[in-house]
Amino acid sequence: MKRTKAFLAVLTASAMVLGMTGCGGSTAPASGTTAAAGTAAASAAAGTTAAAGTKAAASSAKTSATDLNVMLETEVESLDPQQATDGTSFEVIADYTDGLMQMDKDGKAIPALAESTDVSSDGLTYTFHLRKDAKWSNGDPVTAADFVFGWQRAVDPDVASEYAYMLSDIGQIKNAAEIIDKKADKKTLGVTAVDDYTLKVELVVPVSYFSGIMYFPTFYPVNEKFFNTCKDTYGTSPETTLSNGAFILDEYQPASTSIHLKKNPDYYDASRIKLSGINYQVIKDSQQALMSYQNGDLDMTLVSGDQVDQVKDDPEFKSVGAGYLWYLTPNIAKNSDLANQDLRLAITYALDRDSIVKDVVKDGSLATYTAVPPQFAAGPDGSDFSADQDKFKDVCTYDTAKATECYNKAKQTLGKDSFTFEMVVDADAAPQKVAQVVKEELETALPGFTLNLKVEPKKQRVQDLQDGNYQIGLTRWGPDYADPMTYLGMWVTDNSNNYGLWSDKNYDSIIADCTTGSLALDAAKRWSAMMDAEKIVMDQAVIMPLYTQCNAEMVSSKVTGVEWHPVALNRVYKDASKTE
Amino acid sequence: MKKYALKRILTSFFTLLAILLVLFILMHLMPGSPFNDEKLSADQRSVLYAKYGLDQPVVVQFVRYVGNMLRGDFGVSYNISKNTPISQLIQTRLPISIQIGGFAVLIGALAGLILGLIAAIWHDTFWDTLATIISVIGVSVPSYVFALALSYQFGFKMKLFPMLFSAKMVLKSSVLPSISLSMFTMASIARFTRTEMLEVLGSEYMLLAESKGLSGPALIFRHALRNALIPIITVLAPLIVDLMTGSLVVEKIFAIPGVGSLLVTAIQSNDYNVVISLSFIYSAMYIAIMLVVDILYGIIDPRIRLAKEGNET
Amino acid sequence: MTNTTEMNIPAADTFTDDDFTLKQNSSEIGIDTNFASQSFWKEVRARFMHKGSAVFGLVMIILITIFAIIGPGMNSYTYSAQNLAQKNLAPRVPGLEKIGIFNGDENLSTTKGSKIVNTYTEKKLTNVYYWFGSDNFGRDIWTRTWQGARVSLIIAVAAALIDMIIGMSYGLISGYFGGRTDMIMQRFLEIANGIPRLVIVTLLLLILHPGILTIIFALMLTEWIGMSRIARAEMLKLKEQEFVLASRTLGARPFFIIFKEILPNIIGPIITQVMFSIPTAIFTEAFLSFVGLGIPVPQCSLGSLISDGFNSFTTHPYQIVPPIIIMALLMLSFNLTADGLREALDPKLKEM
Repeated sequence: MKRTKAFLAVLTASAMVLGMTGCGGSTAPASGTTAAAGTAAASAAAGTTAAAGTKAAASSAKTSATDLNVMLETEVESLDPQQATDGTSFEVIADYTDGLMQMDKDGKAIPALAESTDVSSDGLTYTFHLRKDAKWSNGDPVTAADFVFGWQRAVDPDVASEYAYMLSDIGQIKNAAEIIDKKADKKTLGVTAVDDYTLKVELVVPVSYFSGIMYFPTFYPVNEKFFNTCKDTYGTSPETTLSNGAFILDEYQPASTSIHLKKNPDYYDASRIKLSGINYQVIKDSQQALMSYQNGDLDMTLVSGDQVDQVKDDPEFKSVGAGYLWYLTPNIAKNSDLANQDLRLAITYALDRDSIVKDVVKDGSLATYTAVPPQFAAGPDGSDFSADQDKFKDVCTYDTAKATECYNKAKQTLGKDSFTFEMVVDADAAPQKVAQVVKEELETALPGFTLNLKVEPKKQRVQDLQDGNYQIGLTRWGPDYADPMTYLGMWVTDNSNNYGLWSDKNYDSIIADCTTGSLALDAAKRWSAMMDAEKIVMDQAVIMPLYTQCNAEMVSSKVTGVEWHPVALNRVYKDASKTE
Repeated sequence: MKKYALKRILTSFFTLLAILLVLFILMHLMPGSPFNDEKLSADQRSVLYAKYGLDQPVVVQFVRYVGNMLRGDFGVSYNISKNTPISQLIQTRLPISIQIGGFAVLIGALAGLILGLIAAIWHDTFWDTLATIISVIGVSVPSYVFALALSYQFGFKMKLFPMLFSAKMVLKSSVLPSISLSMFTMASIARFTRTEMLEVLGSEYMLLAESKGLSGPALIFRHALRNALIPIITVLAPLIVDLMTGSLVVEKIFAIPGVGSLLVTAIQSNDYNVVISLSFIYSAMYIAIMLVVDILYGIIDPRIRLAKEGNET
Repeated sequence: MTNTTEMNIPAADTFTDDDFTLKQNSSEIGIDTNFASQSFWKEVRARFMHKGSAVFGLVMIILITIFAIIGPGMNSYTYSAQNLAQKNLAPRVPGLEKIGIFNGDENLSTTKGSKIVNTYTEKKLTNVYYWFGSDNFGRDIWTRTWQGARVSLIIAVAAALIDMIIGMSYGLISGYFGGRTDMIMQRFLEIANGIPRLVIVTLLLLILHPGILTIIFALMLTEWIGMSRIARAEMLKLKEQEFVLASRTLGARPFFIIFKEILPNIIGPIITQVMFSIPTAIFTEAFLSFVGLGIPVPQCSLGSLISDGFNSFTTHPYQIVPPIIIMALLMLSFNLTADGLREALDPKLKEM
């Protein structure tokens, strides 16, 4: 009897120990808790971060009938516009915040908070005239000072934004680079609030696509007064976020798997918004996502390549461009075999890209034969930079006869009969699949050619490429802004993303002209000069493009007006509507 | 006993410190940085390192981190949820993992015990074989296959339970994940219970108890089970910690905001503080449970004396 | 008391053979059989064979091993050759298709309802057969399943044996010596356990090339803890028993006691734990494959086949079925065999 009592005592003690070690102290005990614990924990967490008391978290039904139910592949990383760097965060931030510009359905920049823009004749000064009826959700008007505050945060080394280079390298704003390097104070940034509704921006060199980068959340305004009331917790809950956009954030926690926004009745363009709200759900397993879609719990979802067989005949299935270019990068500088141009050309001729996208990737991705992917950059005349995928047909196409020819030439020059290379690949499902097919294709078309696959975690693969510690790499590059320079700039001598350390003086000079030199202001000449640059890259087979990523999506027939973009904001819902 | 427990708790602190140090060193050996290595140049990365103090030598960082930990500051996340305090992340996610894990342990342990008892008491009969088959299925099919199969059948087809976890109906949406997680535990416990019970049932003191006139439940529970419990607890204890700290795959499938997927994502993206804090919590729980288990050994079986040196004659 | 003179008993020398008949009651009387002292292992084998389920288990293991060796060679497909034109084909077996099963039909459930699809007839592949179907690269699942079984068996058995040796020794020594030795050894174990497995394996793969040996090494580093715990628990149970005291009194040294006296008594739970570490090893390898640290493609193991087939679970379920069934059969067989072994080896049940 005594023993049983002791036994029970220890059991209770252990339950308490579990409880105390298991939780951060303030919330409910361990196993055996009920629903209340789950929701109590959620609201407790929200409560501690908010300045005021409203408990918006969990419980009551906030969703209503015309809420759009959207699937997210991954959690939001940050709702701080100057800290966020990933597509998911950008999308959500842009739902409730407007910047100077917004995207139209083709991805071009059209006015948002900036009613009109004046550009000086030398292209170095932009004057934005803000609309006077835009308000923050706490009633404050949106003023030019909000933009100045936000942009200064973006370059402030204490904030250490990963996207600071948008203001320095890409935006070329005066003093941005110096401030980031701690050589100047952030107040010297080339952006001033001339008055409450006029914003003046000074650039170092003309940037032809400058208006286009204004719809990136890095350039969104931040209300300084509000920010100072919740400095450390800004953007971590609905109470610490201000909206001036189409929707208002009303349910959110850091790294939460569900987010809810409701329509903003005070939005200056509120009549345009037809949805009552957006309900985001993070679902990482694509089979579960599709089943939720079939159930009606989701109105839009991403479908993986494996599931395309199930949905390809469904009218609700569509393929939307995601912008990433997948390509092979050979280590030209460090590998004497790959330094031989004929061998590189042989590789690119031996790749059956159509088979890869049709049979392996299957989500509507496009086989690509250009160094700059199609469907993301439109030129001064409105045409897609890479619309013509045949323009490099003589150096990049699927032709096993030409492959053998070049291969034999290479064999002769190098005096070798067989080649063995190692290709580094990300340890994710899609790249591994593509890598296996690439291996098969190359080994079949080029006898004596062996390609061994080295699968690594992504961080490792990136490091190997940057250190030059590889032979061939399978990698991808996503556009940072809607201009071909985001790709072409990579292959300038000594650029950190020029993994193969290729160098060509002609190429460097063309790029220099386009960015900071004589062509920077002449849009049409610049455009054609970039095409010349691309030709150099393709002629020398500096990289072997494979395909441009597209995403397979299911969109309910009840939903219309959703816009997809391969750059900046993945999806825009301002014109979306859902029938009942 | 008390002195032993005290001594153990004291050494636990040193163990945890040692774990922290090893983790620190290992994390900094991992390739890459917590930031977007592809798009940032080395200069830009050094600005970020300076902000978070990552440019200091490892030992300095370690000492500072431990100092902060004692004040409840576990650092911030670098990329999973930028600049969010880890304590906040853990506060929201850990209870959910513990809850679902707790259910899974309960279901698994109870079902396992029952299955094991049935198999042992009626061993070598049909019931034994049946129990064996059920428990073997539990160990041979990965939990994520169960998870998807259960979700497909009971969630999608039969619509009895929600397919995904939802904070709005916590209990109902925890059922399928808990069952999927419990299968392995159930199978392990069942096998172990059977093995131990068989040994115990065949021993002399059971014969003695039976001949004293005891039978049925009293025999099984008061005499047999007590003796079989030790190895069972040994197996159960770490399973509890594993389950509580979440299973990556089940969390991924049911979209559960728990710590399992948090840990794996953090390891893959070099979010140092998340990895270190979660591993620390995991180790603390493990050590606490092992301490409880060791004390239980002494209570259940008085023949075990832990404090004595084993070599006295 | 009877008076012997009144009984009609003839004198001793008048007995003839006809006075006696054999009773033929040998079946009624217990005949003393002389049990010649048999060797321990003969007894073990006899007891093992006596148990039906154990024999079944052993037979299944042998069968699966045989197939793992000859299976991949039984048809003309190899485990790595891709044929994208013939991907995702349902199982089709030459003889059985005439009866209507395994004839290449599959029930494809699309978002617009389910329909029966036969890719063989659609693509006019009349003389092409895939016994278990083909995967999403057009590789033969029959060949890959048996190849995977081969790899899984090698990994699991190697890992389990190494774990057993290392873990068991660690736990037994720690448990026997107790006191400070135990405390230090257990603390070290807790430290080793506190590091997430994924961190260790990622770092390991930085140094070593991915492959079967590396996986075994990684499994070894992380799985020995379970075995040592069991061994220590059992040691603690038996340490204070009289036979140990007796042995010590006779002057036996600690290692003799640990390995010759106590170890035979705890074979039961040890074998059970080994039998459990085999599926754990396969599972851990599957998890590592899931996060990209497992068997390098295009090699396969049962675990990696299951994680690959998982993504087609709702579209082409036949791709995940063969590896799961083989794994389940393997586990069942190992369990039944382990039970049989445990009962056969238990010295307490030894008959004199």
